[in-house]
Amino acid sequence: MPESVLTVLKYCFLALVYLFLFRVVQVVIRELRAPASDEAGDGRRDRRGRRDVRLRILEPESHEGELYPLGEEITVGRGGGCGIVLPDDSFVSTVHARLFRRGNEVFVEDLGSRNGTFLNGDPVSTATRLRRGDRVQFGQTVAEVVR
Amino acid sequence: MSATLPRRRASELGLGILAVIVAAFGYLLVQLAQKPDVPPDLWVILASVLALFIGAHVAVRRLAPDSDPVLLPLAALLNGLGFVTVARIDPGLGRIQAVWTAVSVAAFVLTLLFVRRIRTLERYRYTFLFVGMVALLLPLAPGLGKTINGARLWVGIGPVNFQPGEAAKVMLVLFFAAYLVDKRELLARGTRRIGGLRIPELRHLGPLLLAWGISILVMVRETDLGQAMLLFALCGLMLYVATDRIAYVLAAVVLFVGASVVAYSAFGHVQTRVQTWIDPFRYANNKGYQLVQGLFGFAAGGFAGTGLGLGNPKQIPNAATDFVFAAVGEELGLLGAVAVLIALLLIVGAGLRIATRAERPFPKLFATGLTAIIALQSFVIIGGVTRTIPLTGVTLPFISYGGSSLVANWVILALLLRMSDDNARGAPNRRSTVAARAP
Repeated sequence: MPESVLTVLKYCFLALVYLFLFRVVQVVIRELRAPASDEAGDGRRDRRGRRDVRLRILEPESHEGELYPLGEEITVGRGGGCGIVLPDDSFVSTVHARLFRRGNEVFVEDLGSRNGTFLNGDPVSTATRLRRGDRVQFGQTVAEVVR
Repeated sequence: MSATLPRRRASELGLGILAVIVAAFGYLLVQLAQKPDVPPDLWVILASVLALFIGAHVAVRRLAPDSDPVLLPLAALLNGLGFVTVARIDPGLGRIQAVWTAVSVAAFVLTLLFVRRIRTLERYRYTFLFVGMVALLLPLAPGLGKTINGARLWVGIGPVNFQPGEAAKVMLVLFFAAYLVDKRELLARGTRRIGGLRIPELRHLGPLLLAWGISILVMVRETDLGQAMLLFALCGLMLYVATDRIAYVLAAVVLFVGASVVAYSAFGHVQTRVQTWIDPFRYANNKGYQLVQGLFGFAAGGFAGTGLGLGNPKQIPNAATDFVFAAVGEELGLLGAVAVLIALLLIVGAGLRIATRAERPFPKLFATGLTAIIALQSFVIIGGVTRTIPLTGVTLPFISYGGSSLVANWVILALLLRMSDDNARGAPNRRSTVAARAP
């Protein structure tokens, strides 16, 4: 086989390798543009297209599974004026804590409750960012952050 | 499930077929360089490579339909390129590598088949720690262990030799990930004060240090410093990722420097590695021969390489294993070597993308660790061959000749795809309970 032909074939080969890499990069860019996670499922979003964050009660058992959308801001307490009312938990203060949104992030803040608010078992002293799957405890009530 | 499903798998199929064509074309070029006719076994090669890829692809379609579309084709390309290079250097090794590739793809499919939920692995962390330790110790066992090229890393059963250390790495990363998920809060904060530093209780750090110490000790006994270094870096990296405390990185660096000094004064071959790294040409005819031949290979390759089958990569000792990157650099030039780097980077990128998209901490950390195995190993060997860092012999993922490493890398790939698939589906059981109870 003449050397010139082999040289041409060599460049063809390298071109093919780079064509492959170029196509891969195209697919990667597509992957990055369309975030993969749960496009199919719980597409609940608020007016501005942000995914709604909700609180799901895990304990006590009598309230397990109750879901509360958080919206822009919501208060948690035993008093009737709160957004999330927990009337039968005597360890919860009248106005116990506040959950609010800043941009795309949701925070929890204790409002000077007697027994404190706990995030994944740690006491919440300042406004603390919540992530999906976090466990928040008010009194004896435990809730999980879900979308 | 979602509309993206057929699209992802379609991309994977298209890219994979392109990768198969690249491999077959490469094989054809090697043969054409020797004699002018199309080799008679080209169609056999093309068909079997295609069959292997399609087999893996169908398995992904069935078992992880929502997973990342680029990982499998990238691995196919690197594996194909590796096979072409290895077979070109030594046709005998090429045949063995072909068999190992088939075994690896089978291991890939079996991993996808048996590991249906990544959380199951998390539960068996101590089992994996134990098995990993045994695997590390196995080459030291009399009768079983074998010493090849001065390193007692191999276990021979009948005619088959393999390196259990390759599998041990994956198992240790699994253990580290599961353990750190449990203890990261404790490790991140630290309860005991020494000086101005808060350090965690020893009992939380204990099992980790033990696992790490034993594995490094074993590797030093087997005189495989490359693997020891890799494991060390891996552990420090995972500690950092889990706790977000830079102090662990600093501690790892300090320990590493200390260990390097000890290793340098204790092991003659470490001194050799450093000397040949600093000035290889002074030892061009003895200690530095391999490194110098590798550099000559790159030089001979230049920008576009000599062409497949037209260089002299056989001049380089161990060109099919540790120095495979030099062989690629010689015959495919800078363009080919950079293409390999890009492909490896894209694999690492895909792995880290899977880690960032994971919701639960265990898959997050596990995916990071698995990706780090591929990334660090590539860095250590490419850096060594190109004289960026002192040379330590580890395999170049998917490319180097070596069955154990190939199987381990394909298993890593399957685990990453499993986690990628989980990410895309969210957590199905959790979602269904919410839906059922929604007011």
